[in-house]
Amino acid sequence: MSKNSRPIIETKNLEKTVTVADGDLTILSAVNLTINPGESIAIVGASGSGKSTLLGLLAGLDSPTSGSIKLNGEELTALDEDGRAEVRNKLVGFVFQSFQLMPYFTALENVALPLELRGDKHATKTAIALLQRVGLGHRLDHTPMKLSGGEQQRVALARAFVSQPAILFADEPTGNLDSKTGEQIIELLFELNQEQNTTLVLVTHDTALASRCQRSVHIDAGRLV
Amino acid sequence: MKRLSLALRFLSRDARHGELTLLTLALIIAVTSSTAISLFADRLHRTMNLQAAEFLAADLVISSSAQVPQAWLDKSTQMGLKQATTAELSTVLIENDELLLVGLKAVSEAYPLRGHLSTMANPDAQERVQQQGPVAGSVWVDKRVLSALKLSIGDSITVGEKALRLTQIISYEPDKRGDIYSLSPRVMMSNIDLPATNVLQPGSHVHYFFQFSGDAAAVKRFNGWVKPLLVVSQRLMDVHDDRPEIGNALSRAERYLGLSSILVILIAGVAIAMSSRRYSERHFNSTAVLRCLGCQQHDILFIFLYQFLILGLLACSVGLLLGWASQEVLFHLLRSLLPATVSQPSLIAVLLGFLTGFAILLGFSLPPLLRLKRVSPLRVLRRELAPLNNSAGLVYGLAVLLIAGLIFQYTQDLKLMLSIIGGGLLALVLAAALLYAILLQSRRLLPRLGLSWRLGLQNVLREPKASVTQILAFSITLLAMLLSFSVRNDLLSDWQQQLPAQAPNYFAINIFPNQVDSFSQQLQQQQVPAANFYPIVRGRLVEINGTAVQQVVSKDSQGERATHRDLSLTWGNHLPAANKTLAGQWGSAKKGEVSIESKLANSLKVTLGDQLTFSIGSEQIQVRVSHIRSVQWDTMQPNFYMLFSEKTLVGYPTTYITSFYLADERKKLLNDLVRQFPAMTVLEVDAMLKQIKMILGQLTAAINYLLYFALLAGFSVLFSAIYSTLDQRIADGALMRTLGANRQLLRRAHLVEFSMIGLMSGFIAVFMYQLILFALYNYVLHLDFHFNILLSLVVPLLSAICVMLAGLWGVRSAVNKPPMLVLRDH
Repeated sequence: MSKNSRPIIETKNLEKTVTVADGDLTILSAVNLTINPGESIAIVGASGSGKSTLLGLLAGLDSPTSGSIKLNGEELTALDEDGRAEVRNKLVGFVFQSFQLMPYFTALENVALPLELRGDKHATKTAIALLQRVGLGHRLDHTPMKLSGGEQQRVALARAFVSQPAILFADEPTGNLDSKTGEQIIELLFELNQEQNTTLVLVTHDTALASRCQRSVHIDAGRLV
Repeated sequence: MKRLSLALRFLSRDARHGELTLLTLALIIAVTSSTAISLFADRLHRTMNLQAAEFLAADLVISSSAQVPQAWLDKSTQMGLKQATTAELSTVLIENDELLLVGLKAVSEAYPLRGHLSTMANPDAQERVQQQGPVAGSVWVDKRVLSALKLSIGDSITVGEKALRLTQIISYEPDKRGDIYSLSPRVMMSNIDLPATNVLQPGSHVHYFFQFSGDAAAVKRFNGWVKPLLVVSQRLMDVHDDRPEIGNALSRAERYLGLSSILVILIAGVAIAMSSRRYSERHFNSTAVLRCLGCQQHDILFIFLYQFLILGLLACSVGLLLGWASQEVLFHLLRSLLPATVSQPSLIAVLLGFLTGFAILLGFSLPPLLRLKRVSPLRVLRRELAPLNNSAGLVYGLAVLLIAGLIFQYTQDLKLMLSIIGGGLLALVLAAALLYAILLQSRRLLPRLGLSWRLGLQNVLREPKASVTQILAFSITLLAMLLSFSVRNDLLSDWQQQLPAQAPNYFAINIFPNQVDSFSQQLQQQQVPAANFYPIVRGRLVEINGTAVQQVVSKDSQGERATHRDLSLTWGNHLPAANKTLAGQWGSAKKGEVSIESKLANSLKVTLGDQLTFSIGSEQIQVRVSHIRSVQWDTMQPNFYMLFSEKTLVGYPTTYITSFYLADERKKLLNDLVRQFPAMTVLEVDAMLKQIKMILGQLTAAINYLLYFALLAGFSVLFSAIYSTLDQRIADGALMRTLGANRQLLRRAHLVEFSMIGLMSGFIAVFMYQLILFALYNYVLHLDFHFNILLSLVVPLLSAICVMLAGLWGVRSAVNKPPMLVLRDH
């Protein structure tokens, strides 16, 4: 990727405030961040520093109070919720700390879902292939309740990569796992990331994990430091 | 105290967050409906008891189809009793070319002995209390008579052959009975004028009431003296008689209303059970924290019990007020079948409504609350640790016991209660099993469906048991409404439609033997198609093979009804049209033989060769059953239970009956006939049907009114089911949108889900409805059953639309909550 190419994520003067009982509370202010295609970046900070809020804004899950966010050149703040949903479906994959699988769907249904939302006719075939890639080819018809934590996160990884997203957002992906399983998941995450040359945005408070990314940004009290 | 204050704090927090809204609403619906019925029934009973004496218009009454011996009346006077007599019969009045069937009542001077009459001098005048009936030469009539016959006060009115002056409008009559004949408009006259009218002839259908009053001891003495002298066609009624002469219709209505209200309670109970389950599950975590902090199991139980008791107190109070208002509406709907003044309800009935409310609350919400007691403190560390489920016996047993108790309270009939509970449970279990199987099978469809259809169906399938409960609750509500709406219109009009075009629409009864020829000639001259003339002797079946008939018949059977009254006995050596021989021979029957209708024979367990004893007037005759036949009852021809051989009934007072068809435009002909044969009574079938329709209309309006509560309860089930899965739906919705689904897709999936629930409920309701109707038409009414395709399509469609709209509204937050939620749930 050349340095001159267009950044895949670009924010300008991003600000988020919420109204609470005794006035406005600023969660993020003056966040300027540029992320290039294929780059892996860790957002590091303490609890309550605003890192999850930033991730939500970057992924178009929430709208900022002011400022601009461009995803692959598209201004998110100009879109309504359904417009942002379309961008997410085209560009973005997610991995969450709490896995966030649909509890009544099988592993296969969970993984095929993003492709189906896109109208992909080969959703099932692609999903099976990816589940085999993450080592769950024998668990296609299991619902999340019947899977271990590590297996659930593998399903979540398969779901995140199945649509070959340009950007992957990962929010504390090992937070709910023991250290050994966590390491395996991280290995798999980076492997898939490299295979697909995905841009990775990882939120964590684990500095060891952050060091595996090409770059780290620190956030404190809502500001990048 | 500690527990109570904690309970209060929990309650106020939960109430503020709307946790308990649905539970409260469902409880209010249940209490409203049960209180309305309990107050209604109580007021009805109290009215009947308080006014028992007034209902009789005396302390003691002998009802009889003939005059009683003068010696009896003399004896009563001798014992110091006052005595009055009334005679009631149906007759037709003609004035100003208009015709009206009226209930004529001729009263003696002393009538009424108890209570009073009320009259008005003109339609707009004040009501005036009258201690006596009309004097000789005058007549009082119902308001309806004035408009129907185009008369005004002061006009002359001809009863039979006697002209009387119309002086008052009668607005209240203490001993007006609730049966269908008493619902004909009243015409009251003095019995001094009765002979001159000539409407009374030997064999006429007339009912005498000999009334007595006086001090209690004398009444009791006379009662004891006269009782052994009574013959079978005479009955003694006193104030201790159970609910004297209250219309059957009214007591049936009370039963149906009671059962409908149980339906409401059952459906609301499902909603209460569902919402308390959700409530309990949402409190597992906070309960685990309380347990960690040192709360003991019984502390937990009391904290939540207190909350529910306070909630019950509030909801029951509101339900009580609404129930009070609702029973006023019920009385209004049934006003013309009820006495003019109705007693106030007793405190016990109010209390009963209140207690029923608490029983419903605890019966349906205790099992989920008991689960809270078992929450492990370890749950603070391991969220997936759920307390043990209750045993199915506890969950369902408590509810079934409660419903059984309520059914018994309304019906006072153990057998009926057991059969309703047994039949109802069986039907529910079968329907639930079938539905469950269908739902499980429909999983196979999933891979072949488009995304929104699949998501929708998956929502129905994800908790099949909850879906089955929801669908059944809706179908039962719909079924009850369908049945109730159709009884009034469909049954009667179907029956009318199936009659041949020129089926007789008039019955002429009380035709005397010497008039038969001239009456028949008249009809022929006017080219009026008429059935045969059948002779009638009034008599009652008293013994079968020497055993008193009351020992043979079972309660509430056809046999019991047919032996409690005088039957119309006829004779002839030819079978009437549409009668078919089932056993024995008739053409050459000898004197002393009888042919009996097959269903009555079955009910009385009578077979060929049995000896039957009939009481006719003061005599008894014995005959042998030599023939059993089937009768097609709905031909509108005269039909008979008992057909005697020729010459068997010779010498008894006889009248004739026939039926004929007269087109509407030739109705005027009736006037000439009635003038010529004043003792004859013409019964207009259309008018009778109209009256039956009116009564059914009022009853079904009252029942439908309760079913609106059932519908509300049905929606509370829907919303309870929605809310019990709402947290999951919101999480799913947010996740789907994170993955790129737009709101339209989610809405489409919800649309599919709720339409399917509505559609399935509708189909099940229509299916059960047609099944019940099929059985009713084939085995009870003997009519041709037509499958109603339009209804079978419209009901499921309407049900789908209603449930869909309500459902979409209920889950709107699952579509609109921002997807950012998925990042915040931990």
